[in-house]
Amino acid sequence: MLFNKRAERIFIWVFFPLALMMPLFLEQNTFYVSKLTTIMIFALFVMSLDYLVGRCGLITLGHAMFYGLGGYIFVMIAPEYEVVNFWVYTFYICAIAAIVALVIGLLILRTSGIYMIMITLAFAQMAFYYFSDSVDFGGNDGVFIYVKPETSLFGLSLFDLDNPTHFYYLCLLSLFNTMAFFKIIMRSRFGRVMDAIHENPGRTVALGYNVFFFRLISYTLASALGAYAGYLFTLQYGFVNPSMLSWTTSGTALVMSILGGMGSIYGAILGTIVYEGLHYSLEHLTEHWLLLMGALIILMVMVFKDGIAGYLEKLLENRS
Amino acid sequence: MTTTLFLVQLINGLQYGLLLFLIASGLTLVFGVMGILNLAHGSMFMIGAYLAWYFVEHTGSFGLSAVVSAIIALIIGIIIERTLIRHLYRRNHLDQVLLTIGMIFVFNALQSILWGNDPLGVAVPEILSGSIPLTDVMEYPVYRIFVAVFCVLIAIVMYYTINKTRLGMLIRAGESNREMVECLGIDISRLYTIVFAIGVMLAAVAGVISAPITSIVPGMGEHVLIACFVVVVIGGMGSIKGAFIGALLVGLVDTFASVLVPQLSSMMIYILMAFILLLKPQGLFSS
Repeated sequence: MLFNKRAERIFIWVFFPLALMMPLFLEQNTFYVSKLTTIMIFALFVMSLDYLVGRCGLITLGHAMFYGLGGYIFVMIAPEYEVVNFWVYTFYICAIAAIVALVIGLLILRTSGIYMIMITLAFAQMAFYYFSDSVDFGGNDGVFIYVKPETSLFGLSLFDLDNPTHFYYLCLLSLFNTMAFFKIIMRSRFGRVMDAIHENPGRTVALGYNVFFFRLISYTLASALGAYAGYLFTLQYGFVNPSMLSWTTSGTALVMSILGGMGSIYGAILGTIVYEGLHYSLEHLTEHWLLLMGALIILMVMVFKDGIAGYLEKLLENRS
Repeated sequence: MTTTLFLVQLINGLQYGLLLFLIASGLTLVFGVMGILNLAHGSMFMIGAYLAWYFVEHTGSFGLSAVVSAIIALIIGIIIERTLIRHLYRRNHLDQVLLTIGMIFVFNALQSILWGNDPLGVAVPEILSGSIPLTDVMEYPVYRIFVAVFCVLIAIVMYYTINKTRLGMLIRAGESNREMVECLGIDISRLYTIVFAIGVMLAAVAGVISAPITSIVPGMGEHVLIACFVVVVIGGMGSIKGAFIGALLVGLVDTFASVLVPQLSSMMIYILMAFILLLKPQGLFSS
């Protein structure tokens, strides 16, 4: 069975049907539909980070670089006033992001632990400054996208990207596919080697596996998916700007991933929803929501280490 | 580039590098001794600058303000170590990253509550406000030279403390083997508190002395933090000597890049870092 934990199965059976029906409840309230869309896009991004940090043990504080790159690559390669095909550009963007990740991965995967945290952060900042200083990409204001792509596939156009509800379903589908994709990878031979590397890199080397190569592939995959999330975000709001690549984006994603339960994959969705929910309600409560958020994060590290997914799993194990 | 311009840039670069050293030394000291990566280190720099502004506004004296700010920073350091950092020694790097990100959020919020989000400025103290003439048309502000000299003094004091005093001996011992230090009957947790508080104070002092030459804005800490990361990655994590060399390198490269290759100026230090990592993945002076 692909989804082997009880908590995970329950989550899937609750979350996805609910998410499918959500636009019906909200009817034409586009504000909430697009808010939920953004949450799902970010959950996809957090999921790719969760795989990297939780399953591969590669702690990166620069994942937002690929989130931003997803948008900037689109702006770079797509003609400004022409309707392009969504799927074709999805392929282009993921491929280019993968090549970038491959090159950067060759450098950063030579290091580990604390060094890797700082180097990934430094690379992300490099990209951040490049785009925020460049005249070609509008500096701090970023770039606007005037025409959204069309989504015809084999002559069949399923989604109209200008329609918020259609966009919502596209993101939901992407989220589900990403989750299934990661689960398939984790169950495969490749995923088992990754688990072994996470547990004990030295012993995996002794078994004859090329640890560096496996890590590089994982890094590339997760980065390409991170870029896909950034691409979706760019299309939703019709612009891309440097704040997408800022270190706070990486940091927030990391917090969400921990909150959800590191390495559980589905926890990424939980973590993103809970964090965004807290953010939204605290923001309405006080303008100094950052203070409460910071205090919550500190509290979480101190007492709530396994995240929501870990807590759910423990709860369900005790009952059965 | 004329000789004068070159000279001015050289002094600028050295001065910036020395300031970076002051901040990075705290970061690398705390990591070297305690194994803690403190992302909130930049926030301490920011707090230092804001405290300096606050006390200059209320007392009118920069010197007094600097002393009071440093003492407050020391107390903040002790409180943070005793209440939060203490619980992280046996945890992994990820928990450290998260906790210190939480601390950044809290400090940024406190800054916005206490002092607002408008840019602030501190006047250069009267005695140091002059300029030294270099040529007929160019002159160099005394205060910047004071900053450089002050940083060099701190570096010398640190070198002396670490290599010649009992505290320095304990710090070096704690770096190589914490269990053994404990076995010898030394209260390691007190040593950790002292080291962390000193680290915080170094960052805050750097914030205080750079207050008159930068504008005090929200987010100034994060900017400095990243530059410090580059410094310690280049120099080798945990090495004070490495931080010194790395800081001067970063300061010079950053300053000259903004004159020679303006298009790439803000990226240049990262390119330098990538290049050094290719040659030495653990930095120049890793232990």
